Amino acid sequence: MKRIACALIALLLVLTGALPALAENGQVTYEGPAGDFVFAPGSEYSLTDLFPNFKDVMPGDSLTQKITVKNDASNQVKVKIYMRSLGAHPDSVDFLSQLRLRVAVAEGNDMAYMFDAAADQTAQLTDWVCLGTLYSGGVVDLDVTLDVPTTLTNEYSQQIGYLDWQFMVEEFPIEKTDPTPPKTGDASDLLPWAIALVAAAALFVVLLVFKRRKQVAEEQ
Amino acid sequence: MGKIKRILLTIALLAIVVTFTTQGTLAYYTTTGQATNVVTSGNIRFIVHETTDQGDEFPSEGVTVFPGAVVSKQVSFENDCEHPFYLRAKIVYSANDENLAAENCFKLDIDTQHWLLKDGWYYYNGIVEAGQTTPYLFTKAEVVGDAVNNSYIGKTLNLSVVAQALQSENNPLTGEDVTTAAGWPQE
Repeated sequence: MKRIACALIALLLVLTGALPALAENGQVTYEGPAGDFVFAPGSEYSLTDLFPNFKDVMPGDSLTQKITVKNDASNQVKVKIYMRSLGAHPDSVDFLSQLRLRVAVAEGNDMAYMFDAAADQTAQLTDWVCLGTLYSGGVVDLDVTLDVPTTLTNEYSQQIGYLDWQFMVEEFPIEKTDPTPPKTGDASDLLPWAIALVAAAALFVVLLVFKRRKQVAEEQ
Repeated sequence: MGKIKRILLTIALLAIVVTFTTQGTLAYYTTTGQATNVVTSGNIRFIVHETTDQGDEFPSEGVTVFPGAVVSKQVSFENDCEHPFYLRAKIVYSANDENLAAENCFKLDIDTQHWLLKDGWYYYNGIVEAGQTTPYLFTKAEVVGDAVNNSYIGKTLNLSVVAQALQSENNPLTGEDVTTAAGWPQE
């Protein structure tokens, strides 16, 4: 029995450990108030790199990268989150101009691309674009697609392209008209756990009563 | 309290209310952060292995040969990157005396089961996966006695292998064999 339990626990640990590795998303987390953005996962090229999937790309590749933008600030504020592109670094323009980059808010993928241009450009993200209003724990997902043309020649092999994005938040106080409770990242149902807790407590009490009665009977 | 005073007081109260209301809808804090994102491009690499039948590296300084001699020289190619590719190789002959022809001086045991000759190139008939090494293109070179006469005494003959790799990802064959793959460099 112990072996089975150990095996199940080990399997659970392996699965929970493996899940994040399988889905390597970019993460933009706002840790306000008066806090900073935290960017993950980073890479050997940049600590704030949001593109883990866009490494070692080859001609003809069409790759996607999900980036989750999260408001991790307290419940007292809601934030509007904006982003814009500063474009490619000067020494990356030649390489990145060969690639096509598209960015969309992943609301069921039915939104038009808010950016669709060569990867070195700022294009539709030259000015701040609002990604949404987020309460504490709220997230907005971005789908980023990179298309590498089959015509990319040998001169562009082993290139490194740097591309800057900026994110900005505006904090607002929670208002009475705002929906309550604020949306959080945990939507699990607590009712089964509450029932289990009550049942366990009841069982505990019953056992105590039986034990006490037994003791009394033995003493008499 | 006069009528004018009451009006002024009302206006002042309204102004205070409006001010508080406005403050409630204005952002009271902003911050920015910057991410430097990186895109890198890959490449394809291979290693040419030239060994003897004893498993040693073929000597880079070459070997002394005589007409009719058979030299052990095993040539294969190893995929040294993360990407699969097609591969072709060409054998180039030369001599250190421009008056001497080198093309007909060697006879090679080409592995025609795995290598397909077309337009002077031997195409590996398959995909070389990451980390994989091809079968030998040839394993020995015989010095042709009829071609290597006294005029070759003291001369140097070169037998060089030139190879090219072409990515196979996103590059399906358009015909029956690898010679039809798109992207082989023009000569």
